[in-house]
Amino acid sequence: MKNDQAKKYGMVIDLDKCTGCGACMVACMAENNIPFKEDESNKLDSITWMRVYQLTNGKPYPETDICYIPRPCMHCEGDHGHSPCVSVCPATATDYSQKTGIVSQIYTRCFGCRYCMAACPYHARYFNWWDPVWPNGMEKFLNPSVSPRMRGVVEKCSFCFHRHQLAMNKAFVEGRRELEENEYQTSCAQACPSGAIAFGDLNNPKHTVNQLAQPDNAHGGQPKNPEVFRLLEKLGTNPKVYYVSSREWVRRAGDNYLKNENPGKAH
Amino acid sequence: MSKKDEKEKAIALTGDSEASSPPDGAKKEENGSGGSILLFFIVGFIASLIVGWIVFPKLLYSQKKQPIDFNHALHVETVDEGCQSCHFFRDDGSFSGVPKLTQCTGCHEEAQGEDPEETKLVEEYVAKGREVPWLVYSRQPNCVFFSHAAHVKMAKMECVTCHGPIGESSHARIYEENRITGISRDIWGKNIAGLKRNSWDRMKMDECAECHASEAIKTEVSIETPMLGFFNNIIRLAFPGTEKPGRKNSVQTQHEACFVCHK
Amino acid sequence: MKMDRRSFLSFVIGGAAGTALSPLPWKVTDDLAIWSQNWSWTPVPEDGEVGYVNTTCSLCPGGCGITVRKVGDRAVKIEGMKGHPVNDGGICILGLAGLQFLYGPSRIASPMRRTGERGENKWQKISWEEAISEVSKKLADLRSKNQSHALACISGYDGGTVPRLFERFLTVYGSANFVRTPAVRDSYELGLYLMQGTQANAGFDVENADYILSFGCGIIEGWGSPVRMFKANSHWKETGVKVTQVEPRLSNTAAKSDQWIPIKPGTEVVLALGLARVIVDESLYRREFIASHTAGFDRFVQNVLKDYPPEQVEKVTGIDKAVVVSLAKTFAAAKKPLAICGRGRGAGSESAGEIMAVYALNALVGNINQKGGVWAIPDPNYIRWPELEMDAQAAAGMQKPRVDGAGSKKYPHIRNLLHRLPEMINSTDASPVQALFVLEANPYYSVSDSAFVRKAWKKIPFIVSFSSFMDETAANADLILPNHVYLERHEDIPGAEGFIKPIIGLAKPVVNPQFDTLHAGDTIIRLAKMMGDPIAKAFPWEDYEACLEETFGDKWEALGEKGYWIDAGFEPSPWNKAFETASKKFEFASDDIGASFQNAVVKAEGEESAYPLLLIPYDSPRISAGRIGNPPFVIKTVADTVIKGKNGFIEVNPKTAIALGLSEGKSAVISTPRGSAKVRIHLFEGIMPGVVAMPTGLGHTAYDSFLAGKGVNINELIGPVEDGSSGLNAAWGIRAKLGKA
Repeated sequence: MKNDQAKKYGMVIDLDKCTGCGACMVACMAENNIPFKEDESNKLDSITWMRVYQLTNGKPYPETDICYIPRPCMHCEGDHGHSPCVSVCPATATDYSQKTGIVSQIYTRCFGCRYCMAACPYHARYFNWWDPVWPNGMEKFLNPSVSPRMRGVVEKCSFCFHRHQLAMNKAFVEGRRELEENEYQTSCAQACPSGAIAFGDLNNPKHTVNQLAQPDNAHGGQPKNPEVFRLLEKLGTNPKVYYVSSREWVRRAGDNYLKNENPGKAH
Repeated sequence: MSKKDEKEKAIALTGDSEASSPPDGAKKEENGSGGSILLFFIVGFIASLIVGWIVFPKLLYSQKKQPIDFNHALHVETVDEGCQSCHFFRDDGSFSGVPKLTQCTGCHEEAQGEDPEETKLVEEYVAKGREVPWLVYSRQPNCVFFSHAAHVKMAKMECVTCHGPIGESSHARIYEENRITGISRDIWGKNIAGLKRNSWDRMKMDECAECHASEAIKTEVSIETPMLGFFNNIIRLAFPGTEKPGRKNSVQTQHEACFVCHK
Repeated sequence: MKMDRRSFLSFVIGGAAGTALSPLPWKVTDDLAIWSQNWSWTPVPEDGEVGYVNTTCSLCPGGCGITVRKVGDRAVKIEGMKGHPVNDGGICILGLAGLQFLYGPSRIASPMRRTGERGENKWQKISWEEAISEVSKKLADLRSKNQSHALACISGYDGGTVPRLFERFLTVYGSANFVRTPAVRDSYELGLYLMQGTQANAGFDVENADYILSFGCGIIEGWGSPVRMFKANSHWKETGVKVTQVEPRLSNTAAKSDQWIPIKPGTEVVLALGLARVIVDESLYRREFIASHTAGFDRFVQNVLKDYPPEQVEKVTGIDKAVVVSLAKTFAAAKKPLAICGRGRGAGSESAGEIMAVYALNALVGNINQKGGVWAIPDPNYIRWPELEMDAQAAAGMQKPRVDGAGSKKYPHIRNLLHRLPEMINSTDASPVQALFVLEANPYYSVSDSAFVRKAWKKIPFIVSFSSFMDETAANADLILPNHVYLERHEDIPGAEGFIKPIIGLAKPVVNPQFDTLHAGDTIIRLAKMMGDPIAKAFPWEDYEACLEETFGDKWEALGEKGYWIDAGFEPSPWNKAFETASKKFEFASDDIGASFQNAVVKAEGEESAYPLLLIPYDSPRISAGRIGNPPFVIKTVADTVIKGKNGFIEVNPKTAIALGLSEGKSAVISTPRGSAKVRIHLFEGIMPGVVAMPTGLGHTAYDSFLAGKGVNINELIGPVEDGSSGLNAAWGIRAKLGKA
């Protein structure tokens, strides 16, 4: 095996740095040909592969605090790749790659049953209730590396896998099989003006994401860094998106903790 | 077709003399009808075979002429680096595919010879700065991602393996477009049954799988068409324990995740 | 032989068998599957060679470098330019969506003449020749009646060759009425002029400061150069620099700060002076600076600060006096503390008193023209065109006072007072503005007190919009001469808001013009040529590009290559050379300044008895509120607690809401002395009880169906409040009442 080392691409998002500006959302839309409608205020049918949620500590004025939390697809590894959505797809339209750790979604294969949406605990999947329509002329900015989706299929964040493909092409032409950390970055990580999103190979100790999250692969990828947490850790979805926060209430908000429970010490 | 015509056609086809006698008796009719039942079966059978094998393919594909009758053979002779002279890799790893007008302009700023096709290129396209609307025989549907770099640069494959000896052609052949899918006939292949003699005769996913199912290539990217996967699953279920131990690259397909070739 | 039922069946069965043995069913099945996966109406983006073009973004005054990715001749994505001194690879939400402006549905495709009533949206396409000659005739007519001073131009910017060409046109035509839209830099410029005697822009060395005291600045909501501030904010987190945000509402900035101090809106200046008082009382100021490089310190302490003991500050601002004292101590104890002001993104001016109180704080800690402090950044003075030859008409027109009164005896140090324009027009029978140009601005929407603006608008007989988009101003103009959008044109973009080095960005055409538009620089040159001498003589260039090239001279090539010019070695003047006041020192108090401090607190309009609440606007990074409307991608990111369907929400503290009998999502009517609007209630614990807040940038009536009709334009509810000493519009909100709908 020439490329024996399996990659595990993942993300670490620093919630102390995240300002909630929404640039990641638009960077994603622009890169991935995300459609838009006249009214996008019904957030249940508004397609945003990357969505920034607002958390509040629930305290009254002036003790109130808010925190923003960007939510891409978590690319759950589950138990050996049995992520919630992959396990339920009857069409083999979504799959977990052991080589990259990315959960793929093939639109032409999907027939729109939406089991995966029901299975995903992060609401990271979206259904195309309508055919995408770009106002006359606007189809000019569509990215040829990502195929526009049609009505009736489910779509979600791909960790900009096409960027991996393009980077690999370049590497191949240069006679390489391995990518540098900066050669494959998602659109959101690249755009974030605060530098809050780090992206890379969680298995590679040289990559920022590994250093920040310190994932413990022996224990379902749980972070060793006490300021790092994952969403709904207790479900055992083994997500590959990690969050950093110095604020305890934020870390607690990442899961449904009992009052006497300590975040980060689940199980 | 009127009944009479059909009858006459049936006679002509079978040469059954009995059928020509007037059907007047009940008994005779029973006998005759026994024969005509077979006859009608054969007529239907043959007619549908003709429709299916000959008429249908003609109807299914529309024929389009290339804007310019391009002479590959002549060009390959003239240029230095063979196919790569016009179909090259860019520095970013992408493959240029069909040349843009600027590449033609490099040599054909003005007509170099008398050929009316070249004159057409210079007058209609070069002079007006219009791109030539080439019809691409090997264009895959938009859901396909194909890396030329992986195949040509890393696996050192020859262009001919998939594209055939197009470089030897001195005329651009007719481009046939599937009326249902809008996709070039070259993908399914010239043979309507989907059979092929050469590796370049078809460009469906089965062709990808054919190579990628071999052990050597499986280690890189192993793929399985959905249909093949379906049959393999049946075999696996019917004869448990027979599946070959192999590298499992993904969860659902046990092969490479579909993302590698689909977008 | 007869075709009976059985024969027919036999025929069918034979046919079926034959069909099954032919490729037809299998091929059709396969093709249908492929067809169903690739609907012909789902667009297939054309592939091609990928290329990158570096240019400068001019959607806001941030001056960021951008890299546009192209596939073939299509622009497909905008990214931040790596290595650019201002934003180094970063990009903001609006900049990312820039291609939606380029290819967007609200672009104006050709010059147009109004055929219906204003705002009816009935237009006739005309040629450029016709359009320019129509303007030329109107202006010649006005000039022949000795009314040249009745031409005005409202511009969204005043630096760079394009606005300077317009200004030059007005000058040689005979009008001084070139009015730039307001921004907090007006206040900063005034402060620098009064206290340091310099004509300069304020720069903030935020990267090197070690403590930030912000009086309501939306540091991460678009204040200054947005991406630079985002980066600075992250840098502060990494290096442990503390940020204190003083603001009545828990904005994103407040939430990200280390300390949020809610304050009664509009009383920030009192806190600033109160902090100064504590610093002076406790002798925490930097003596070496105060003693040698400042003037009027004693007068400042005696005349001004006596009124602001902590107890008094607590009474006015609502901030506990212990907090005031400890805040002052923290500020003074830091090595390089930096105080900044300018509410929200700094899209409006602030009172002279407030700006100078903040300057005074920086001066007390000696953080003027120092590392981590406030710097005076001179304009990169690169536009040196031939002297104007003015005829008698032009000279006479230029002698007439400006309509907005800027620079007059009453408002001596101010250059632009756009908010006074509607008032001046409405206060006379014949409008002092007879012809109006609007360049890269949307005053019909963005000037506060919309009803009053509309009234004034009706009195202007001839309005020409140079907008690329069908914004409110263009929709209510008589003639539209559409400009190329920023991705289609060459232009110099001097300066980056709040940046500490003189810089000039260059915008380059990334794609060919998509429509029959013309560079506004070319339009004005062609107009001048058509009008003949002496106006034509002032525009000796063949076209705009020639003018631009000539302006930059030998810098032009380098500028084109790199995409920007920067004075990288720029250092602020040392204290002994920095101040050009009469005393050659930093002035804490002069006659001008004294007056400013006395009028320090700007009161909100309206009586408390009738309007018990205070309405304040807030800026959101996800809603563009400048001259340009939110594009579809960005409006998509707006939360459903800000817009739901077409309804806009107002933020109300639950306590306030309970008292009014209102609950989440309920419809309500907000009324102010200037207007009223229907809104829905959003309960927010992060806002001070008694204060309600609405976002800026909504309630558009023009643009496209993605933006129009959503929410409320807060300018319908708020009017200008003139700062008594400077004349700047210092409105920070208005009194309001909220009731059930």
